[in-house]
Amino acid sequence: MMTPRERMKNVIHFKKPDILPWTESFFSETLNKWFSEGLPADKLTIIDWTYVGMMPDALFFGFNPNSYFGCDPLMLGVDIDTGPIPKFKKRVIGVTDRYVDCLTETGSVLRRSTKAEYTWYNMPMFIDWPIKDRKSWEEYKKRLDPKDPRRYPKDWDQDAYIEFFESTQDSATGFGFAGFYGFGAQLMGIPTFVTMFYKDPELIHDMAEYWEYFTIETIRDAVETLKDRIDINYWWEDLAYKHGPSISPKLYREFLLPHYRKVIGFLRKNKIDRILMDCDGNFNPLLDLLVEAGFNGLIPLEVNSGMDAITIRKKYGNSFWCIGNLDKREIVKGGAAMRKEVDSKVPILKEMGGYIPMIDHQVSVEFTLEKFKEYAEYIKKICGYTQKS
Amino acid sequence: MTAEILEEIAVTLSELEDSAKIRGLIDKALAQRVPVAEIIEEGLRKGLDLVGKKYENGVFFLAELLYAGSIMNDALQMLRSNLDLKGVEPKGVVVLGTVRGDMHDIGKNIFKMFAIASGFEVHDLGVDVEPETFVDKLRETKAEILGLSSLLTTTLWEIKNVIEKLNKAGMRDGVKVLIGGNAVTKDFAREVGADEVALDAVEGVKICRRWVGK
Repeated sequence: MMTPRERMKNVIHFKKPDILPWTESFFSETLNKWFSEGLPADKLTIIDWTYVGMMPDALFFGFNPNSYFGCDPLMLGVDIDTGPIPKFKKRVIGVTDRYVDCLTETGSVLRRSTKAEYTWYNMPMFIDWPIKDRKSWEEYKKRLDPKDPRRYPKDWDQDAYIEFFESTQDSATGFGFAGFYGFGAQLMGIPTFVTMFYKDPELIHDMAEYWEYFTIETIRDAVETLKDRIDINYWWEDLAYKHGPSISPKLYREFLLPHYRKVIGFLRKNKIDRILMDCDGNFNPLLDLLVEAGFNGLIPLEVNSGMDAITIRKKYGNSFWCIGNLDKREIVKGGAAMRKEVDSKVPILKEMGGYIPMIDHQVSVEFTLEKFKEYAEYIKKICGYTQKS
Repeated sequence: MTAEILEEIAVTLSELEDSAKIRGLIDKALAQRVPVAEIIEEGLRKGLDLVGKKYENGVFFLAELLYAGSIMNDALQMLRSNLDLKGVEPKGVVVLGTVRGDMHDIGKNIFKMFAIASGFEVHDLGVDVEPETFVDKLRETKAEILGLSSLLTTTLWEIKNVIEKLNKAGMRDGVKVLIGGNAVTKDFAREVGADEVALDAVEGVKICRRWVGK
């Protein structure tokens, strides 16, 4: 019987696993809610709180949703800090009876509703960003020193990590960072960032150039140490919305592609060749360019935005392996609607290979524990988990 | 001469040439005594229509829409600050906002930019707007169109709340309700009794134009 890591590796290399791996990602609010719906609270050893933009976000210790529901974590890996160092000091900068405005560690200001019923999603609105023009970019760059030792985990030890990356079998191994679009949009805000491709193309070229240098130099130690012990390199992009990419293929080719090829070239030179792009929305018009850039993994493929894993696998063959694409709007209904959605995709994609089932975004609080359990049992049956000991 | 300069303004805008070039062309048109209303209607708005077509044909994307909108707004600003805009009547009045509980506004703002550029008077109430606030503003402005946006599936039902408030206030018949945002669908629009759903800003403005018949 294969280990979870072997199964994942088989799928992303277009080979047949003994059991199709199944992965999910859960909002902490969802788990929090499910404890009141029957998750075994006695399994918790501690609930700690972190602060995402000054709002409490639960961390659960002792309870592992992956082992509880029987799904496979996507990857374990090196947590490299690719954010600003020093970070901005998180603080509340304004409070009204309706909102709280907070300075985040990246220097953006986010606004959250103070009403409990609207805070579950951790979906605040960013209202200000640290980079507005060339001057503020030059200033921000000072926080993006790739050689800062604080970028690596405190326990970073090459030999220990080599041993861990060789021996672990609980999941695939990996590490991630933001692609240039994600990087820029996060620091400038989407409207300013995307219009800047026209208003000040030189600034965007300069930012992209620096992003490439910063990314390669930041990850260099981990990449050159671990090489192909890293199974997956994960990029956060989110460069699309429901109706299409935020930037055109023309802009992608001119501003992003040359730098993406260099970063991916560096990874490939070090035998890391499974490159996964995380992007919500409809990025169909960019698929050819993603192949050219060197990406070969796609997640989460939102159905609501017109993404379709079967079409992609048919059209692009083994250029792409896919994770996700199970329509959250149907799965959440449970029963026949849930089974229809699973049945219409998973058996076909399982046969085609290069596919890992997952709901097409994180599991949200709209899911009841009962409905999620029903889905978990069904998907495991389809994947072949019943054979698992 | 007039037709040529107006055509040049339209094409320049649709090719996303920078604001300075458009401003130069507008100056040239004004020097030729082309009426402001014609510059707006036959030059700028025609240019924006071409941008919309390129968007629909998959040539332009979000970045291009936003940039074209900003060029257009600069041009309108220039005309507004320097000239008498007599003869430039609004095509219609729109009250616009993101529903209660949702604070997302990129799509709404693009729609607003295009609606203003297309000649509508837009009263933007912002994000996280209470249902009563929409009703009050409609009453105050006598707007014939209400635009409601929701990105989140969790706040979709606020759209229904707003429409119910409109019904209770006896104003529903006089107002066309257009809904948009990531979470909305045609089925949902039917379910809650909205008049139309716009999948994007370009489609939204087209619907509004159809409604006011201009």
